[in-house]
Amino acid sequence: MPSSAQDLALTLPHYLVVSGMIFGIGIAVALSKRNAIAVLMGIELMLNAVNLAFLAFSRFGSSFGIASEGNPAAPLAGHVFVVFILTVAAAEAAVALAMAVLVYRRRETVDLDRINLMRW
Amino acid sequence: MSDLNFNYALLLPEIILAATGGIVLLSDAFRRELKLGRNMLPWITVAGAVLATLASVAQAGIVEDFAGIVLVDAFTTFFRVLFGLTLAVVVIGSHEYVAKQIRGQGEFYTMLLFATVGASFMAMSTELITAYVGIELLSFSLYVAVSLAKSDPRSGEAGLKYVLLGGLASAILLYGLSLVYGAAGSTDYATIAKNLSEGRDGMHAPLLMGLTMVIAGLGFKASAVPFHMWTPDAYEGAPLPVTAVLSATSKAAAFAVLLRLFGGPFLPAIADWQGTIAFLAVLTMVVGNLIAIQQHNIKRLLAYSSIGQVGFMLMAIVTISDASTSAVLMHLGGYLITNLAVFMGVIAFYNQTGSEEIADMKGLAETNPFLALVIAAGLFSLAGMPLLAGFTTKFILFQAAAYGGYLWLVGVAVVASTVSLYYYLMVIKQIYVIQTDGSLLDPQAHDVVVPRWRLTWTGYLTTATLLVAMVVVGLWVAPLAHAADSAAKALFG
Repeated sequence: MPSSAQDLALTLPHYLVVSGMIFGIGIAVALSKRNAIAVLMGIELMLNAVNLAFLAFSRFGSSFGIASEGNPAAPLAGHVFVVFILTVAAAEAAVALAMAVLVYRRRETVDLDRINLMRW
Repeated sequence: MSDLNFNYALLLPEIILAATGGIVLLSDAFRRELKLGRNMLPWITVAGAVLATLASVAQAGIVEDFAGIVLVDAFTTFFRVLFGLTLAVVVIGSHEYVAKQIRGQGEFYTMLLFATVGASFMAMSTELITAYVGIELLSFSLYVAVSLAKSDPRSGEAGLKYVLLGGLASAILLYGLSLVYGAAGSTDYATIAKNLSEGRDGMHAPLLMGLTMVIAGLGFKASAVPFHMWTPDAYEGAPLPVTAVLSATSKAAAFAVLLRLFGGPFLPAIADWQGTIAFLAVLTMVVGNLIAIQQHNIKRLLAYSSIGQVGFMLMAIVTISDASTSAVLMHLGGYLITNLAVFMGVIAFYNQTGSEEIADMKGLAETNPFLALVIAAGLFSLAGMPLLAGFTTKFILFQAAAYGGYLWLVGVAVVASTVSLYYYLMVIKQIYVIQTDGSLLDPQAHDVVVPRWRLTWTGYLTTATLLVAMVVVGLWVAPLAHAADSAAKALFG
């Protein structure tokens, strides 16, 4: 049984499984934490999972016959998407943290269970 | 790639809006040096919005893409004009409110302008990255605008809830887009359509997951049940003009993206998403209209009523074709006019009384008959009464869904629409039947004289214009139908 480098090579499914797991952890954190900052951390984790998925599809897309079908620009689109997501995520953190400061000044808490002036 | 078309004149309306945003921000910052009054800011904004609308009308006949990422055609023009006019009307009708209630006027108008730019890009993008950036530009501007109320503690809370839930929805949308990208091998709408119609072995599961997550993410932006939780809180906490923009521009832009996506690249996979959206449509119109019944705050009532309207409009996505696209575009036009009429009325009411409770509207027919007429006509139009815009466009929308083969869906919609009449009538009862002292109206008693109050001239201008537009669209729908038809034809070729 010769185990060559081929057998040990990482392929698309490996990356997608990791990405799916990170996304799941992120969504669990975002939905279960009561602190606004912790929720934001969960969302960032989800966005990083998305980035990993995009890069994996871009890099290994050829295994699905994407790159070879007269569409050489397609694999690059995933990389470009990741750059945009990183930028937007930074902006999102800035806006959400500013909002958290705004609420903290008034209520002295960022606990989402206690931020409840409005119901139904 | 040198064969890309970089004709920047195509983006003129967006460039005008963005530049106006910069001008407003700077003239607010250098107000003292330039000796400008604060009251100049809304008029600069209106000038920008009107100029951008004129520029997009001037491009009406063009069908041309910019660098393969956005497309200027009749569909784009339809939405650009809608967004530009909405911005102008909202700013004219609410500048007194903004001067009193908003912290940072320059930032406020800039956010509205940038939100409109984002909405335009959502309507014209033919590529996933551009669509995503447009969505986030619109959302971020609105997150900030929601939290800008000066003295209302609900505003910051609404902003925080909106930004956290919005971020969650964006992440889900993005994961969906990454799976679609993996399954279809491109972010370009035309290439996705081509690759999906060819079909690829082993890619069905990721595609199905991706489509479901895209529907969830966009459903959040359009506030479809069960992704609507942010809507009532954001609507109630936001300053009134922002609520108007949330219910008009933001909703129309979400539908522009839905139509472009599900009428184009995702059309070959229609079997995978039709049932999901039909389910969402039923849930949205039933839940939205039922929860609206128990509201006592007018903003919250309008939030749930707008959720109900989204349910009706989702029917057109289920039965997507050029006929139903044209119908939903018409309904969007009618809904925007009607909804803005109600909101401008409520803003004028708030300016006078400082209240947004439905119970405080009692006796409005006595103290300000004109405003009472505007709000009542708007609510009747939302409910779909004949002679008003809401009836005609809703009728055409339901008809298109029925012809699309979803008669049962139309049945649910008709029942939901009847339910909606109940809570609209509750407001109209406060206005017309209850007197200012809380007693029921007695037609025999003529001797009661209640002091009347008047709107400002901008209040009269916006409400009267929208009232006339509502009646005109209700009676003579041909121009709107023509615009919607050519927009739908642009989408379906």
